[in-house]
Amino acid sequence: MRIGDAKQTYLADEAIWTSSTQKIWFALLLAVLLAFPFMASSYLLYLGCLVGIAVISTTGLNILTGYTGLISLGQAGFMGVGAYTVAWLSLNTGLPFPVTLLAAGLLAAAVGVLVGLPSLRVKGLYLAIATLAASVFLHFIFAEWEPVTGGMEGLSLEPAHLFGLEFRSDFAMYFIIVPLAVLALFGAKNLFRTRVGRAFIAIRDRDISAEILGIPLLKYKLMSFALSSFYAGIAGGLFAYFYRVVTPESFPLSMSIFYLAAVIVGGMGNLLGGVLGAAFMTLVPEALKLLTAVMTPIWPNAPVFMSPMLEIIFGALIVGFLIFEPHGLAEIWRRVRRFFHLWPFRS
Amino acid sequence: MFNQLMQKGRRLAGIGSVVAALGLAAPVMAQDKDPIVFGGSIPLSGVFAFAGIHLHAGLTDYTNWLNDQGGINGHPVEYVMEDTAYEVDRSVAAFKKISGNENLATYYGDSTGFMKAIAAEVNEMNSVLMSGASFATALTNNEQYPYQFIPGPNYSQMFGIILEYIASQGEEGDMPTVAFVYSDTEFGKDPIENGKARAAELGIEVVEEIVTKPGSVDVSAEVLKMRRARPDYVVFHGYVLSPINEFMVQMRQMGLDTQFMGTFWSSDKLIIDKMGEDADGYMGVMPYNYYDSEEGGPMLDALRAQAEKSDPEAGYRPTGYMQGWFNAMVWTEVVKRTLDAGKELTGDNMAEALASIKDWDTGGIIGIPVTVKDMSFPVGRIWRVNASEGRYEPVSDWIHLD
Repeated sequence: MRIGDAKQTYLADEAIWTSSTQKIWFALLLAVLLAFPFMASSYLLYLGCLVGIAVISTTGLNILTGYTGLISLGQAGFMGVGAYTVAWLSLNTGLPFPVTLLAAGLLAAAVGVLVGLPSLRVKGLYLAIATLAASVFLHFIFAEWEPVTGGMEGLSLEPAHLFGLEFRSDFAMYFIIVPLAVLALFGAKNLFRTRVGRAFIAIRDRDISAEILGIPLLKYKLMSFALSSFYAGIAGGLFAYFYRVVTPESFPLSMSIFYLAAVIVGGMGNLLGGVLGAAFMTLVPEALKLLTAVMTPIWPNAPVFMSPMLEIIFGALIVGFLIFEPHGLAEIWRRVRRFFHLWPFRS
Repeated sequence: MFNQLMQKGRRLAGIGSVVAALGLAAPVMAQDKDPIVFGGSIPLSGVFAFAGIHLHAGLTDYTNWLNDQGGINGHPVEYVMEDTAYEVDRSVAAFKKISGNENLATYYGDSTGFMKAIAAEVNEMNSVLMSGASFATALTNNEQYPYQFIPGPNYSQMFGIILEYIASQGEEGDMPTVAFVYSDTEFGKDPIENGKARAAELGIEVVEEIVTKPGSVDVSAEVLKMRRARPDYVVFHGYVLSPINEFMVQMRQMGLDTQFMGTFWSSDKLIIDKMGEDADGYMGVMPYNYYDSEEGGPMLDALRAQAEKSDPEAGYRPTGYMQGWFNAMVWTEVVKRTLDAGKELTGDNMAEALASIKDWDTGGIIGIPVTVKDMSFPVGRIWRVNASEGRYEPVSDWIHLD
């Protein structure tokens, strides 16, 4: 049983690390993340990069939807803005990736502010529809603004580079994606220790009360949109460097729903939830394929029958989480932790 | 780089040296040699599953048939696939998984998006030749996609074949008019510019151009435009069924005697099954003989026998099945030519072997000898629905674009 971590000051209450055990586990996690690409197969490395990109985008959406209470179906569109920015800059200026990624984040943030303007007047499903409209509009621009976006054929780009180093393989990209994902999580964690982050939470809990408390709603709602879109822009930029091709069909509406599902399954308004949700949504369909692999030697036609079944199982898992654990994977994680904290006593 | 060297080394040791040292004529049992691996990202679930299960069946049946014939120069052939749900990230994951576990020679990609997304890696690997469900014109760009080919005509070439047919129905100075109806997708827009250019060359006027969402949509406003334009032919592209049926039924109700045509993915029996008598007269461009056509040939007969053997109750096999079978046939021919030349199975060598295919007899899968041009097989034939017979019947000779 863990004892002796009673918090006696507000500063201690706000600290990111509340115990030395946490620091040790986090150091171990960083060590595993560092060692992973040296041990993983190309397949696992690819999945690791995909999860990293998904974590950044999900964290961005979590800031907007989970922490500020503004539902958005525009995340894929914002990622598209980031991806096209990186592709265009990389093709036309040859700038190194930190510059192109920053530009991707900033441009996506600017677009996010524009899309967020209706959020002062509408919320809930109405805002979802407004962001959906923005997503359709962005898709139209990607498909039709041919001189810049390459039209339906899209843009192919060179690998990310910095100081003459090319990040061509998944192995190399891992060392851009994962540190940025960790940085994005730290940024978000710190955000909610500041006035801005707390204002977001106040708006989510009751926007009228927040305004009475002196929080200008428009400013903070737009700020939340900007931050969320910035994250999406970075994730989109990484997506562009990762696949080295960007087309309008790279960012379908289903991708926005994917990230919304990741936020909900993981646990809204919880950063760890975003990470777990992103990992769940990316990895579970792959993990379920193992069932098919196990059955194929004894039943050669298993792939044909099992593949649609796996989609159903995946959907059922999501529904199951919503019914039995509405606070998401983060709550399950919290319960597991509490069990060990209180062990050998019952939780 | 390291992986590439490892792969090259394994391949050289595994195949090239065996072939060179023992000689091709040596009567070696198939199982004594390293297997040749065909891989695939196959959409067995998701929106493209209707075709994916037949593509998979075609690839599986061909591989089994080939192994019954002794494989490729004594090498057994393995077909290793994963379901992708027709999502690019999962298709790429499948490729990474299979290419990491197997010594891949060729690979089937399930979408244009996947083919583009994997291109950079395939180009750097230089060890796999790819083809798949996509007939996208962009993939015939040899500089960008040197190791990817189209198992038939690309979409622009399909339009070329359709327009050649339409031109053959008119005469100079009195050419039929045409309208293009296509979906608002990369797939739908692919051949339109090239199609318009080719129509202009042939003196065919494109009197209307309509873009719609794919799937069931209200097309009554578009049908009114068609009534004003009165095209002799409407060419659909970028759909599987809807809204082709809506256009056909409504335009016929208005008394228009327009002829309706479509490209590969909208020229399967599904149209007959769903539309019944209304499908009568619909025409499609198809590079392969239909499963239930009256055509024959040693390979087409083998295909039918193998299909019957693997699933006696399946009956008709859709065009996806033919496409899967033909893909694997081309891979086999390419691998065989490469091995016969005593070369390693690298991307460059296999692309060279593919480009060397000239006047190749496909045993009836395609009705005439075919020649590869710009990594595609620019050949096809126009078929028309005979609704009372419930099948497509040929209305043109085989058209080979130069």
